[in-house]
Formats: sequence, structure tokens, C-alpha cells
Amino acid sequence: MKSEILTGKKMPFCPGCGHGVVVNNISKALSELGYNPLDIIIVSDIGCSGLVDPLFATHTVHGLHGRAPALGLGVAMGLNDRSKKVIVIQGDGGATIGLQHLLEAARRNIDITLLVFNNLLYGMTGGQISGLSTDKFKEMRQVEEGIPPFDIVKLAHQAGAMSSARVLSPVNFTESIKHAVETPGFSLLELASVCPSYGLQKIKELDEFSQEADALLNNRKVNEVNYRTTTSLLNFVKEIPILYPTKIEDNYRILLAGSAGGGIQLAAELLAKAGMYAGLHATMKGEYPVTVGTGFSVAEVILSKNHINYTGLDAPDVIFVMTEDGLEKVQKYLNNGTSVYADDIVNFECQTKITKPFSRKVGKRSAILSAIAYWIEENDIIPINAFIEAIKPHKHSELLIKAIETPI
Amino acid sequence: METQKSKMALTDASLLITEACVKAGADAFIGYPITPSNKFYSYGSLRFPLFLAGPDEITVLQWMSGLSAAGKLPVTSTAFPGLALMAETFNMAYMMELPMLVIVTQRLGPSTGSATTGAQGDLSFINGLISGGFPIPVFCPSNFEDAWTLAEESIKTSVNLRTPVILLTSKEMVMTQKSFDLTKLHDIKPVDRTPKNIKLPYKTYFADETLVPPFIPVANNKHLVRLNSSTHDDEGMIQKNSPNALANTKRLKDKIENSIDKYLFYELDNESTNEHLIVTYGISAGACRDAVKELRKNNVKVSLLVVKTILPVAPKIISIIESYNNIYFVEENIGGQYKEIIFGKQHKSNVYQVNKMGHMINPDDVIKAFNL
Ligand code: SF4
Repeated sequence: MKSEILTGKKMPFCPGCGHGVVVNNISKALSELGYNPLDIIIVSDIGCSGLVDPLFATHTVHGLHGRAPALGLGVAMGLNDRSKKVIVIQGDGGATIGLQHLLEAARRNIDITLLVFNNLLYGMTGGQISGLSTDKFKEMRQVEEGIPPFDIVKLAHQAGAMSSARVLSPVNFTESIKHAVETPGFSLLELASVCPSYGLQKIKELDEFSQEADALLNNRKVNEVNYRTTTSLLNFVKEIPILYPTKIEDNYRILLAGSAGGGIQLAAELLAKAGMYAGLHATMKGEYPVTVGTGFSVAEVILSKNHINYTGLDAPDVIFVMTEDGLEKVQKYLNNGTSVYADDIVNFECQTKITKPFSRKVGKRSAILSAIAYWIEENDIIPINAFIEAIKPHKHSELLIKAIETPI
Repeated sequence: METQKSKMALTDASLLITEACVKAGADAFIGYPITPSNKFYSYGSLRFPLFLAGPDEITVLQWMSGLSAAGKLPVTSTAFPGLALMAETFNMAYMMELPMLVIVTQRLGPSTGSATTGAQGDLSFINGLISGGFPIPVFCPSNFEDAWTLAEESIKTSVNLRTPVILLTSKEMVMTQKSFDLTKLHDIKPVDRTPKNIKLPYKTYFADETLVPPFIPVANNKHLVRLNSSTHDDEGMIQKNSPNALANTKRLKDKIENSIDKYLFYELDNESTNEHLIVTYGISAGACRDAVKELRKNNVKVSLLVVKTILPVAPKIISIIESYNNIYFVEENIGGQYKEIIFGKQHKSNVYQVNKMGHMINPDDVIKAFNL
């Protein structure tokens, strides 16, 4: 049969294959709905059902096994145009492989139609059973699996499909396809098919071996994707002008070690910015466990007169140890002659350490800022005002500045 | 100290790459959570005209393929575990000739390895990603300026060659904040997507001497579009191994390799002699730049090649490497993956390797190779 929707090419299926019946019904349904073939995009899967492309005079996209619903959804989201209709075709094998894609498409409820040609098996690879093969069918095939099939109609319904249905009799195919295609949002239609080469021979056997016919509806909003206007990320990047002098002629590699919630990462960022206000180059990176709310928190800062090529920190010049968690992470660097500034709540042996009651004076969260300020002033690294400049834009700047101004 | 005209800021390469992609015309970011690509996800969600939170890695790349088929220019970011799951769909997008960008942030493997430790361990995998030995354009930034430039080039190359492209980076490159002069960022214009030289009747995969078929989005009102992941002829019709289909498949290799000079980026810091050449890429380039300064202070005549279009290997890169007497490959992985791509497993007495796993290569590691 030739229509506008079909190319008239010879069906590629075995004689008596149910897929030809389904294809003709799709064509009939789309013609009756008055569709122009260039408004239809057929997205096909792998398997015998995936041989349909050349049959359709519509746009066609032939994808991977099991993935066609995700691919079709991508096309629909890209077009974002309800005058175009994406129809995804896959077999029961593809629906098994890509079940997650089917559920995700139902959940999103974007306007696409998924037609599952269910012949209860993988035809192209030699008749293996699928996740949709029924117990009765497996019994006949002497596959003693004892595992029930997925009911994709119910699953899709539960995931939020606007409509999902299983139709066994080809007599009802055209009308059911029309209904599915006309349904706005995600519609799933499982159409029973025969595979004379490996499975059922006759259409009249479908009733006996299939899951029951079903038709379920959800009443939901149809989703569309939202293309926004945005502004450049560079607008959020704050310029740091050189406002202060520095005496640093070389570079400082600084390690900050404490616990989660101890402001280590923030302090490192502020120190890097402070260095920049004094005309230095800076890098900053953090390290913390995947559970960010607990355990250690370590940060590395490099301040340098020259451009920084290598951003690693193998031998720190100065280490701040604020808590026991932090101590554990920097232990290997201690006692190498490196300057160490430690909170006096942490107990450890180190000949080059300077211990002060930072946390007892300014509280745990600000202790690291107090320690950095102490180091900066003791060693005349950069003007303390450069550090204050970096802190100013912070929403709790008053509190933080108070901490660094508190005498230790 | 920077000059008066500089505009210094503390920023990171994830931000620069994201911004450059959008400026170059990318319009959709499909994200899913994976370390150390986390910043791309958050910047992507702010900046791209369309942002979608994908449920899993395969879906991400399938959606991107669908979006690309419909005329969008999608981007995602991942690390090895995600890329591995995307491998089949990446092949599909390659076969369908769909422009898109996958940013790969390398971390320590094998397997899930250590998500927050940097590495340069995925080059071999990417080199073999396309079944049949087909090349993918892969760009590899060695600093923040590269991040900006190569993100732009990745997007433009994906459109100009009608292919998925990879931007290969690593944890230390995209998670570290650095002082950076914003005036070094050149202006980026969106890539021109107007299809040129369409021969009628339009065939999805018919290409002129550029070997790149003009791209028309699926659902076009005038031209029928047939995209196909399986072996197909120039109309997009599935074929077993017809001459037309095999020629079409071979074209995929030729279109990328023949135009390599149009997207070849590298940096050659050449000494006067051809005695020593350090070859590196990505995150190891910083240490090599410092090492070269030190070595030259010690009168070692050493040149530095930082490769930025890392795949396919350009004939120009080979000829540079071959023109030196002693070659040192510096890369943060266990066996020297780029070295192996260039020279294979064969032992060569004038080829040296500096490799490290689990830590960044530092300038001393490079200097040591010269046995001063
Ligand atoms: S193997 Fe079965 S499903 Fe496939 S074409 Fe033949 S009859 Fe149809």
C-alpha cells in the first residue's frame, strides 16, 4: 500500500510478520489525521521493528537498542514545536533494555508518542525472550523462568504518561494510534504483533499469549522545555585591582588545615584575593571528603610575584593547623622546617610551630582568619588592609573583620 | 605586577569554558552529577539557554543527540565513569554526524578510582572510542587562556565538521581558582550554522569536496532528513555494506583527518638547537613551562611542545617531534598514553618518559629526567 506517509518500499519483514500490519495502521492513522509527512519524525530503535525507516516518507532517525525513547524525547525538546510530532517505535526487547528511558519520558510528559511493537521476543537476534514475554508464552517456548513480565502500560501510567494502552486486536490499531498521536503529552501504545519465524504464528493467538488489553489515562499538564535568556558569567567575576604594595619577591605556598564548618575554604579564597589586592598572582584549591559537612577541610593557596604555571603544592612554606582533623591531613609536612601556626586546642609536637588561642579568642569559625591575620602582620607579608579589602564584600564582613582585628 | 590595563580576577577554568561555549553558540547543557565536573553543572545551569538535569549518563547523551538533530548545539561534562557509559551513544552521534561537545574532566582511575584526584588517564580510551578506529577531534587546554580559546574552537569544530567533539581537561585544571587577567579573553562570535552548498534533492549525508554534508535539522518543512546510526548510504538509508555506504563511512574519517590543519593548536617554545624536546599537554604543561626555565638556566638546550589539539595526531606534530634528537613525554598517567599513541610500545633509545599517578607532575620530576 502506498500513501503519502509511506514510501511504497517493500516491507523488509518475514512473510506473515505482524510488524507490517502495524506499519500500515500507523500510515492509515496519520493519513486520516491529515498529517504532512514532513511534520512527522519517526525515531526507531534496533531490532526488526527498527527496520521501518525506509518505509516512511517522513523524517526518520534510527538510533540504538533500547534508547529510542530518550533520543525521541531529545528531538521533541529540541524542536519544542507542537506542530511537529515525534513518534518513537521500538520492540518489546528495546522497551526492556531502555525501560528507564520509557519511564523518564512518561515522567516528563513532553509531547511524544511511543509505539511498542510487542511480539513477545527479540526477533532479529533469534527469538530470545524479553522482559515483556508473558509466562504463557515462555511456557510454550519451554523457557522455565518463573518471572512475570513487566507491565509497561501500568508502569508508564504510574510514571505519569498522559495515556498508556495495550491493544491486542489489529482491528483496533488505527483508532488506537490516532488516539495516542492526538493525545498531548507522552502517550504509550503497546501493539501486539506476531513473529512467525520465532514466536506466535497467527494473530488469533495474540489474545491467549498476551497480557490483557488495557487503557489508562492521567490528567496532567503537558510539559515544554524552557529556553531562557541569560547573562554572561563574567558579570559575576569580580575584578580585583591592585590597591596595596607587597614586599614579596618570590612566592609563598600556604596550606590551611581544619575541619568542615571551620571556614577553611572561605579563608583560602579571601587570602588569595588579599594577595591579588597587593598585586600578587594567586591560586586556590580545596580538598575535603565527599561528605562535605564533616571531617577534614584542607585548602592550598599560592601567592607569587610571578605568573604561576605549576599549581601543585609539594613543599608548603607555611601551614595553619586549626583542628585535629586538619592535623592528620598535614602531618607529613610538619618538622621540615616549615613555619606552622596552630590553634592551641590542637596538641602535637613541632619545633617550628607557633601556638595561639585563636579559636578561644574569636570562635571556631573565624579562628583561621585570625591566624592568617596574625601571620600576615608578624611577617609583613602584605598590608593587613589588603586582607580586609578581600573580606569587605562578604555578607558577614563586620564579624569577620572584627575577628582579624581582635588582638591575640 | 600586572600592567595598568590588566583586569585581574580570581576565577576558574570551568567558568571560562562554560562562558566560551555559550558565546560560541552552544545553547543547551544537559547535566548529571559527577565529580570533578561539578562546576560545569552549576555554571551550565545558570548560563545555557536550556538546562536539563539528565537522569543518567546514557540518557544525557541521547537527549543531546536528539537536541542536536533538531538543530540545537548541546554540551555536557563528565569524567571517565560517565564517558564509559556514553561510549555507545557517542558512536551513534558520531555516525549520525551530530554537532555537540562532551567535556571530559579526568580523574584518577581505574574504575571510580579517586573522584577528587586529578589525572591524565583517559587519552587511550578516547583514542579508541569510535569502533573501527575513527578519529574524534579532541582539544586539551593547558591553561586558562586555552580553556577559553579551545572551548570556542570545540564548539566551532563540532559545527564545521558536523561531529561530536571532546574537550579533554582534568580536575586540577577546572577546579583550581587562579588569578587571571580577563583582558586576555578575546571576543567570541557565535558559529555560523547556515547550511551551505545544498545540492537538491537534499540527501542528509551527501557531501561535496569538504566531505562535510550540510546540516539541516530534522523536521525541516522542505527537506526530508534521515539520520542513521547504522551503516547507511548518503541518503541515510540503512545498508549492510554497499559501496555507497562504505564510502560514506570512510568519509567520516577523512573529513576529520583531512582538515586537521584548520583546527590544529599547539605551542612550540623553540630553543636554537634540536637537542631536546619536552612534549606535554593539559595539566602537566604548567610544570613543564617552569622546568624549561630552570633547565635553560642550567644551559640545557631544551624546547617545549604543548599539544592542544591532542587528537587526531596531526602530521605537523609528528614532524616537529621527529626533528629533535631527544624527546621527553611528560604526562600524568602510569604508562605514557600520548607517547604510546605516537611511538607505540616499541622501545626507542632517544624517547624518555616522565609519568606519575595520583599526584601532579612537578617541575623537579621533569628536571630529573635530564640527569643534570
Ligand atoms: S524475525 Fe520475526 S519479528 Fe523479525 S521480521 Fe521475521 S517475523 Fe518479523
